[in-house]
Amino acid sequence: MKHNFIDRYADLDSPLHQLDARTKLVGFTALIISVLAIRPGSTFVFFAFFFLTAIFMGISQVPLGYILGRSLVLLPFVLLASLARPWRGGIDFAFLSALIMRSVLSLIILVLLTNTTRFAEMMRGLRKLGCPQILTLNLGFLYRYVFVLTEEVLRMRQARDCRSVGRAPAKVELKILGSMLGTLLVRSFERAERLYQAMLSRGYSGDFPVYGSRHFGWRDLVFIVALVPFVLIAFRA
Amino acid sequence: MHIPDGFLTNRVALSLDAVSAASVLYVARRVKLSASGRLVPLMGVLAAFALAAQMLNFPILGGTSGHLVGGALLAILLGPMAAMLTMTTVVLAQALFLQDGGLIALGANIFNIATVTTLSGYAVFQALGGPRSQGRRLALVSGIAGWASMMVSAVSCALALALSGAVSLHLGLAAMTGYHALIGIAEGGLTAGVLLFMARVRPDLLRSAETERFGGWDWLYAALLVALPFALLAFGGSSGLPDPLQRLLTGTIVPSEAPEAGQALDSPGRFLDYTVRAGVFVVLIAATYLVSRFAQVRRRGQ
Repeated sequence: MKHNFIDRYADLDSPLHQLDARTKLVGFTALIISVLAIRPGSTFVFFAFFFLTAIFMGISQVPLGYILGRSLVLLPFVLLASLARPWRGGIDFAFLSALIMRSVLSLIILVLLTNTTRFAEMMRGLRKLGCPQILTLNLGFLYRYVFVLTEEVLRMRQARDCRSVGRAPAKVELKILGSMLGTLLVRSFERAERLYQAMLSRGYSGDFPVYGSRHFGWRDLVFIVALVPFVLIAFRA
Repeated sequence: MHIPDGFLTNRVALSLDAVSAASVLYVARRVKLSASGRLVPLMGVLAAFALAAQMLNFPILGGTSGHLVGGALLAILLGPMAAMLTMTTVVLAQALFLQDGGLIALGANIFNIATVTTLSGYAVFQALGGPRSQGRRLALVSGIAGWASMMVSAVSCALALALSGAVSLHLGLAAMTGYHALIGIAEGGLTAGVLLFMARVRPDLLRSAETERFGGWDWLYAALLVALPFALLAFGGSSGLPDPLQRLLTGTIVPSEAPEAGQALDSPGRFLDYTVRAGVFVVLIAATYLVSRFAQVRRRGQ
């Protein structure tokens, strides 16, 4: 079966990929905060950020269609949600366009972060930034087993669809779904038990060693310094 | 229910980030102290389970469908602390790798989806005597726990959005609770269905995994979390609940509605002017993209 791997383009090689994961986590987070701080109506600041992300998108070598596809997915939702805003005296064009530009920009930045950082690097970066080890461990297990369990779900769904014609009454359907999820849950418990045995027999003692990673180098310094003016104009405007 | 970036103001989002960070640090320490090593792979695999289980949709009414979120289910199986950590892992993975929910809104999403669902589901399950019940009663109690967890989470999500001025309080509350009253049926039904199945097939697993007890400091922690929304509300004033929030909202909205904003598109000449400017910008941005992309290709070609 085919999976849509979650850090699909993280194995490419570009200056953005070569940055330390910590640099990217902190830098991109600061960028998103700045994007969200831009006032509606300050068009030039928005365009400055579009230039910056265009440069990043170009450098990163991640296919443009992929980035735009992931970033524009939310647009219908944004438009729908903007209807719920307490509008006074008609639609405020400046505010609406600011909302759209903010969400598109922050999504582009998030997609870039995900697709220029390999999973293991990201975990190391999070760990060094003070994220509790138990959380990064959980994420590691999730990353390894989500594909296995997803395959199980797809197989179970296929088996159910092969055996059923039409739709059962809601109560029966709920019972079937409950049993499917229950089976999956029991299998997850058993898998975790086997995993624990495997970990023990390989010498697990409550600690996971972390091997060396990229260091904070001149590239990281250039990246951070380049971001500073953008953060400043976002908060000044 | 995942809030993307752009809907919360920085003030609301960052304060919820701080709250969630403190909460996760406390819970991680709590679980680490009480955890047998067995719990380490179990939480990870169950996080993967929660993510995979979302592929099984349950059709509800007129095209909408719900899926298991799993906060209440995991809280019943693992206890609230380990469940909260597991759900936090799920939300973190969704934000970092699936762009489901924003990066700055991560604290809000962890609060709404991981913290609130597990705590409220567990509280309701315990209050209705879930641990001692069996059969039909177990189904009913866990069903209510699942439904309630979604409702509380919806209210907290609507509050966060309303505090940011993204939606008006009444409309947001009505829309979120109305929708989740429906979605919650699937959550409750599936929670009950899974627990009944487990009780029939592997009753030994039902409460074997719950290793910790909810002790003194945990009550203080939960009380602080519950007090948080009320503290936020009290910020805006001291009278009844909706009123100060309303004032807070009007306060946040006024500056964004600049007086000239409505006149931006009034005359055709100005509209043309704006279109031309936007066109020039788009061309410039596209050129920037192409230049940086090909500069990169040439560098790698050498």
